[in-house]
Amino acid sequence: MSFVTVKNLVKRFSNHTVFKDINFTIEQGEFITILGPSGCGKSTLLRSLAGLNDVEAGEIWVAGKNITQLSAQQRNIGMVFQSYALFPNMTVQDNIAFGLKMKKIHKEQITKQVQRVIELVELKGKELQYPEQLSGGQKQRVALARSLVVQPQILLLDEPLSALDARIRKRLRQQICEIQKELNLTTIFVTHDQEEAMTMSDRIFLMDNGNIVQQGTAEDLYTQPANEFVARFMGNYNLLSAQQAQSILGVTVSHKLAIRPESIYVREEGREYGKHISAPSTAIIKNHQLLGNVIRYKVQVKDCEITVDLLNRSSERLMQPGSQLQIMFNLNELKAVS
Amino acid sequence: MIKANIIYHKCIVYSTIALLLIPILATFLYSISSSWGASILPDGLSLDWYGQLWQDPRFLAAFGRSLLICIAALLLSTLLIIPLIFVVFYYFPKLSGLMNVLILLPFAVPPVVSSVGLLQLYADSSLQIVGTPWILIGTYFTIALPFMYRATANSLEAINLRDLMDASHLLGASTVQAFLMIILPNIKKGLLASLFLSFSFLLGEFVFSNILVGTRYETLQIYLYHISKSSGHFTSALVMTYFLFVFLLTWLASHISRGTQS
Repeated sequence: MSFVTVKNLVKRFSNHTVFKDINFTIEQGEFITILGPSGCGKSTLLRSLAGLNDVEAGEIWVAGKNITQLSAQQRNIGMVFQSYALFPNMTVQDNIAFGLKMKKIHKEQITKQVQRVIELVELKGKELQYPEQLSGGQKQRVALARSLVVQPQILLLDEPLSALDARIRKRLRQQICEIQKELNLTTIFVTHDQEEAMTMSDRIFLMDNGNIVQQGTAEDLYTQPANEFVARFMGNYNLLSAQQAQSILGVTVSHKLAIRPESIYVREEGREYGKHISAPSTAIIKNHQLLGNVIRYKVQVKDCEITVDLLNRSSERLMQPGSQLQIMFNLNELKAVS
Repeated sequence: MIKANIIYHKCIVYSTIALLLIPILATFLYSISSSWGASILPDGLSLDWYGQLWQDPRFLAAFGRSLLICIAALLLSTLLIIPLIFVVFYYFPKLSGLMNVLILLPFAVPPVVSSVGLLQLYADSSLQIVGTPWILIGTYFTIALPFMYRATANSLEAINLRDLMDASHLLGASTVQAFLMIILPNIKKGLLASLFLSFSFLLGEFVFSNILVGTRYETLQIYLYHISKSSGHFTSALVMTYFLFVFLLTWLASHISRGTQS
C-alpha cells in the first residue's frame, strides 16, 4: 500500500461541489505538486488533507491508518501558509518551539531541536527577532522550520512562494527541494505557477474545476497532455480544429490537434528536412514578444493564428511584423486532444 | 513662505491649547489658594483644600464606590465580550455585520431616556435592584460595550485570525490553548487601551448614577454634585484630583494603543 492513499474524496460547500471523486496515491518521500488555476479547488483539497476542512465522502489513508475522521491536531501533518501565519507575539525561536511545547517535550530537547531546524533553514542569528522584523523570505523559512520541527508525516505547502519577489522565490524554491530530499519528507505543494510545478515536483496532479484532470511527471504533462485544458495550461500549445488541421497540414482527423510552439520550424533555404516535417505553409508575422532566450511570434496561417517559439540566437533573427515566412510542423509532435 | 506658514500654524495650535488650558489652570489656582476675594491674585497659597479632601471620609467612600462599580462593570465586559467576539469572528464571521449594529444601540438612546426606561422596567420587577450598585454595574456594562467591542474587533481584524488558528491547531494546540497563547496576547493591547478609556469615561458618568441610584449609593460624580454647592476651593481641589486621575488613565490608554500600531 502506498504511503498516502486518497479514495473518492468529495467536498461540498452548501450547494457548490468544490471537488469530487478525488483519487490518488503518493509514495513516501515523493514531492507532489497540485497545480491548477485559481478557484479549481486545490487549496480546499490541501486543507481537507490537513483536517482543516471536513469532507462529505471518501477516505484519506496515511501510513496504513485511516485519518479521515481525525482532527487537524491529531494528524501530525505540517502546513505552510501563503500568509506565513507566524504568531506575531512570539520570537522566531518561540514560534518554532510552539509545536514541541504542545507535545510537552522536555525543555532541553526543545532547544536542541529548534537549533537544528534553525540551522537547516539558515536562520541562525535571527532566533530572538519577532516576525515583523523579518523579510518575506525569512518569514516563510520560519514557517517552514515551525512545520518541520515536529517531524510531520506529510508536509503541505499552500502557495508558500506566491507573496515573495521573483529572486527570493527562486532561491527558496531550491531550498525547499533540498530540505525535502535531505529529510526524505513526503510533500504536497499547491501552486498555480506551472514553472514552479515543473521544476520542483516528482509528480504533478493537474486540477481543473474540482477534478484531477491528469497526473504524471512534468515531462508527461508537458509532452502528453490529456486534453485541451492541460495543453493550454502546461505549455502554450497551439490548438488546431479538425478543419484547420485539414487546411494547413492536409491531414484528416476527427479531433483537435495540439502542437507546442517550439516544435514548429521556420524553413531555411537549402536545408534538408526529414519525412516527419510537414510541407511548408506561408505565414505572416503579426507580432513578437521577447522572452529572453526565446522569441515568441504570433503568425497568421490562413484563418488560424499560431504561436511559434524560436531560440533567440542573434539579433539579426528578429523578424518584424508584416514579414512573410514559411513554417513547417513536426508531425511526430502533433498530439490528438479531446 | 513655508516658514511663515509654519509660524501661522504654530500660532493657531498654541493659542488653542492656551485657551483650553485657561479653565484648568484657573481651577488649579483656585484649588491651591487659601482665599480669593476682591483681588486679581489670590490672598495666599495653601494645600489645605487637598488635605481636607483626602481626609473627608465621604469623599473617600464615594471614590471607592465609583472605583468598585467601574472595575466590576469592566470586568464583566471583558469576561463577556472577549469570548463573544472570538466566537463571532472565528465561527460566525457573517454575524459581524449584525454585531456592529447591535453594539451601537447603547449609543442610539440618550442616557436620560434609557435611565427612565430602566427605572420603569425595574420598579415593578421582582428583581429589586434600583438604588443598588447592581443596576449601575449592568448599565455601565452596556455603556462600555461599544468601546470595548470596537477596539477588540479592530485588533482581531489586524491579525489573520483563521490562519493563526489553523496553524496552531496543526501544531497540536486545542482551540482554547490557541486562543489563550496566540489570539489573546495579540489583542491584549487594544483591549487594555479600550479598558482605560472606558474606565475614565465611566468614572465621569453622572446621569445614570443620579437617576438610577442617587444618594442611596453615592458615587464620585454624585458627591461632586452635592459638594459643589459648598466651598468653591474645596470643589476645585476635587475637580483637579479627578482631572489628574482621568488624565493619567487617558495617557496610559493612548500610550498603550500607540504601542499597538508600532
